[in-house]
Amino acid sequence: MNDNEKEEAANLKEEFEWVLREEVHAILHQLHSVLVECAHRFPVPLYGNEGQKQDKFILTSQPEQLKCIVTLTGDSITHADISFKVLRQMHSICRTSINQDGPWKLQQIQDAANHLQQAIGYIDNVDKHYVFRSSEEVLHIIQCLLGSLQRARTALVLPKKKAIDELMKSRNMKALSPNLPEDLAISFYIQSHKLIFVAYQLSSVHGTMRIDSCQADCAVPWLSDVLFMLTAALHMCQQLKDKLCVFSQYKDFTVGSRSASMVFN
Amino acid sequence: MPGTNLIVPVVLWGKHAPSHCVSSVYLSRDQKTLVTGCYDGQICIWQVNPDTLKMTPRCLLVGHTAPVTCLSRASIIQDNNYIVSSSEAGEMCTWDLVDGKCRESVKLTQVHTNIQAYHMCNSEDLRLFCNGYYAEILIMDPFSLEILFCLSSKMNPDWISALHVLRPSSRKDDVVLAISITGTVKVWSLLGHENKQSEPIYENESKQIRCLNALSLNCCAYNQRTVLVVCAKYCQIYDAGDFSVLCSIQAPSGERWMSGDFLATDRVLVWSTEGKGYLYKLPANSVPDHKGFHGPTVEHDSPVLFGILAHPDNKLLSCPPAMRFVTTSVGGKQRRLLLRGDSHGVVSVWSVDDAATPVPNQLPSHAPIVMTSLDMAWAEMNPSPVGILDQLSHTDEQEIKLTASIYLLAANRLVVGREDGSIVIVNATHTVQLQLLHGGHQQLDDWPPHQLLLGHNGRVNCLLYPHHVHPRYDRSHLVSGGIDFAVCLWDLFSGALLHRFCVHAGEITQLIVPPHNCSTRIQKCICSVASDHSVTLLSLTERKCVTLASRHLFPVVSIKWRPADDFMVVGCSDGTVYVWQMETGHLDRVLHGMIAEEVLSACDETVADELGGALAAGAGDLQGLANPAVHFFRGLRHRNLTAMRAATARGLAALAGAGGAAGAGPLAEPPRARRAPLTVQGFRSNPTDPESHILFFDIEGLIVELLSEEYSAMSPASLEAAGLITSEYMKVAALTQSASPDAAKRISDFFGRVKDKAGDMERILKEKDKHGILAKMKEGAETMQTKLQAKAEQLKGNVEHKGKCLV
Repeated sequence: MNDNEKEEAANLKEEFEWVLREEVHAILHQLHSVLVECAHRFPVPLYGNEGQKQDKFILTSQPEQLKCIVTLTGDSITHADISFKVLRQMHSICRTSINQDGPWKLQQIQDAANHLQQAIGYIDNVDKHYVFRSSEEVLHIIQCLLGSLQRARTALVLPKKKAIDELMKSRNMKALSPNLPEDLAISFYIQSHKLIFVAYQLSSVHGTMRIDSCQADCAVPWLSDVLFMLTAALHMCQQLKDKLCVFSQYKDFTVGSRSASMVFN
Repeated sequence: MPGTNLIVPVVLWGKHAPSHCVSSVYLSRDQKTLVTGCYDGQICIWQVNPDTLKMTPRCLLVGHTAPVTCLSRASIIQDNNYIVSSSEAGEMCTWDLVDGKCRESVKLTQVHTNIQAYHMCNSEDLRLFCNGYYAEILIMDPFSLEILFCLSSKMNPDWISALHVLRPSSRKDDVVLAISITGTVKVWSLLGHENKQSEPIYENESKQIRCLNALSLNCCAYNQRTVLVVCAKYCQIYDAGDFSVLCSIQAPSGERWMSGDFLATDRVLVWSTEGKGYLYKLPANSVPDHKGFHGPTVEHDSPVLFGILAHPDNKLLSCPPAMRFVTTSVGGKQRRLLLRGDSHGVVSVWSVDDAATPVPNQLPSHAPIVMTSLDMAWAEMNPSPVGILDQLSHTDEQEIKLTASIYLLAANRLVVGREDGSIVIVNATHTVQLQLLHGGHQQLDDWPPHQLLLGHNGRVNCLLYPHHVHPRYDRSHLVSGGIDFAVCLWDLFSGALLHRFCVHAGEITQLIVPPHNCSTRIQKCICSVASDHSVTLLSLTERKCVTLASRHLFPVVSIKWRPADDFMVVGCSDGTVYVWQMETGHLDRVLHGMIAEEVLSACDETVADELGGALAAGAGDLQGLANPAVHFFRGLRHRNLTAMRAATARGLAALAGAGGAAGAGPLAEPPRARRAPLTVQGFRSNPTDPESHILFFDIEGLIVELLSEEYSAMSPASLEAAGLITSEYMKVAALTQSASPDAAKRISDFFGRVKDKAGDMERILKEKDKHGILAKMKEGAETMQTKLQAKAEQLKGNVEHKGKCLV
């Protein structure tokens, strides 16, 4: 190593110690406030947020195929009036409803909220005065955070696909009053910032099963906010990770290996 | 024809043990096998001496793509050799510990955080009780990995954070006790005849308690009257009867609790994120036999700490260690042990029995009785495990780590990139010979000769020989990417540095070849990915960057192609997809969510389209229909079993039709020449590790090559003298004529049949013998292509140690 390289290494090392000492805590703090803000947008009790918020939505599809008036309380649809046209009989309309006794639970909201709660927990576990001594320590926390935030986001953005018979047997379907005939099924789910309602109609054509569906959606305002903040938090995590990875090529960098840094321990 | 030829993998580990940041740990009841899972997804199997508890690493199982979160036994039978593992990505595997094969694997949408193996009444073997990032409790079969049934909640359904299955002493049925993350305690009773078809099984009782995010819940095995619930900040003893708190223990300052269990009715062991075990004596009001049970907390009678299980050196850990409390029994003698695996890959064991009795007025700290790690196992070996380029390192100087490698099949050369930026090219057979075989050649200096390419400033991250992937590339071109942000183009024969592409703003992580049906300009390019999340197309002939795609906010995880539309489709770790025009470098669109997923899978469909198109061309009568592969993938995505079945049937029919015709589709058997007797593959468990190498010896290819070499060297006279010119010889000669692909095929068919039969037999035996008694008697090498499995045998013997470093 010549003198220039030595100086560069020494400077990098100083910078690395600064990142571990100041920057990591600053970013974690910032992340924490973003995530808490995000938690407060959720309509369920979450991280000091007490409210069971209630929203009302109307979902219709263009040619008067289906209509659905929904009350969303927390993570469940507590009330809904549903009507849609049945294809096989002309002019026949199927009507059903959801009421307080058998709410339709949107598991996606609970899943996202729980993953978010877990992410906040990872930050809460770090004491504000804790002195990080290696990048591995921080990278482990970031990795956990990235995992939780990614799962929270995915829960809302990519609904799990269910087989039609699984859907028909589901507890949500059984709570409808009146119950639907055997060849009809409905489903509510979240996809990105939208609440989606789908009506499925099964028919048998030459022995093979055919599924027709029609759907309607509506935007849920708090979902856009939540997704925006989750994405922002993910990005902050990734940037911190990238920053630390730059130093990982200098493997022998650990705080405390230089006498001056002992002051902070 | 993968699967029919016998391939023996040999691992050259090199001087550095693979890094192994332990995420889960397990010890078999007979104290013979320890299993550790790590954050990088590998599972290490350790052979344990039941008497001394000395541990020797035996196998590294590769298969999970995410941290291994749970490990569990698969059977009640004491010497059963199967375990089940589960990862954070939802993958579950059942492993045979004897030969390291993965017997069954599934990928679930539900991710488990905890698995308890439990023997239910009315069932012949264990069931896995799983909880995790979902609102139910899943009960699974450890061998088929099917979900048998699930337990649902009526009251405040939420994720289950901990559960404990037990059979109350007075009853015949099983009871599942669980707590949700919001603190609802639930009880299910199981009769043993539950199945998937039955109505949803709801809890029999539930009660809300003040306990958020519990980490573990254990009912006292000795009286079944008290329950220990552990949360990060405190752990509490509850009365199982009415779930009221009896006493509470705060975590030591700066530490968080992880889990705990009862040692006796009045003693508990709890362990913390610092990797320490704490032994407490409970106050009288928490001990059921005591007259003061369930009474109010008495002053001066609080839980008393009477022992600590800790490491003597308090080495800094980068993450909380994995710990587990186990009860083993060897020769009828029960032992209670606390296991710990930490971020440095150190496994330690405490004997809890030694520490379980309180000594008045003393607080002894107990050291582990056994401590070991992969690093220690490596250090103990003398001489240390061989690496593939050991001839280049000298004992007196620091070893240069190998960081990337590729094997050039046709030239039989191994290209290895190193940490100091140099690239070494060496004859693969020679260097392997030097490490594995003893002989005069080991005394030679500077043998085998190697070529050195110098141009990178710092670690070489990746290597690519494009001609291998497609013959359109120049035979002499070798491409390398380094930590210095540069992609270098080399002339393989002269060793000259032809060009240095400096277009990325981060270290190069990957080099890929675009498909052959791109535009002519792109066909001459290679694609490189860097850690600044940028992707470029670099033209090897024009010596310049054609496209720089650098708007990605998150690391690039997949690159797919739509050659017909001139699109390069880049998938990022946050699920975003960027569609780039290759020729112009224009960002066509950015997609999120469902559409992003669909566009990515549509790229696979177009590839399948080409495949299927070739198939359909062979079968005239099926041409009217769209191609079967596309239908199959669509069926797979929409989970439409009938559609998949129909597509498969059509595909098979098309294949059969195409088989008769002379035209070889892309699915046809690769030409004979590609069946190399030796291939070399680099391997590492963590991106920061130096590379180890796996040598794949194709036994069949080796035999054919050796025989044809030997017979072609003999003169007719010597053949006659050896009595070989007989009808028998003629048969052999005919078989070994490598010019005739037909004969070669016959040989491989023969080997294939033998192998198939053996495989069939083995499978039949295994099916009958679920508990693996026969599996232990199994011997011989196994074909291991799909599951990259590597085992290292302890290299204790000095003389033949070099030949034995495998299976």
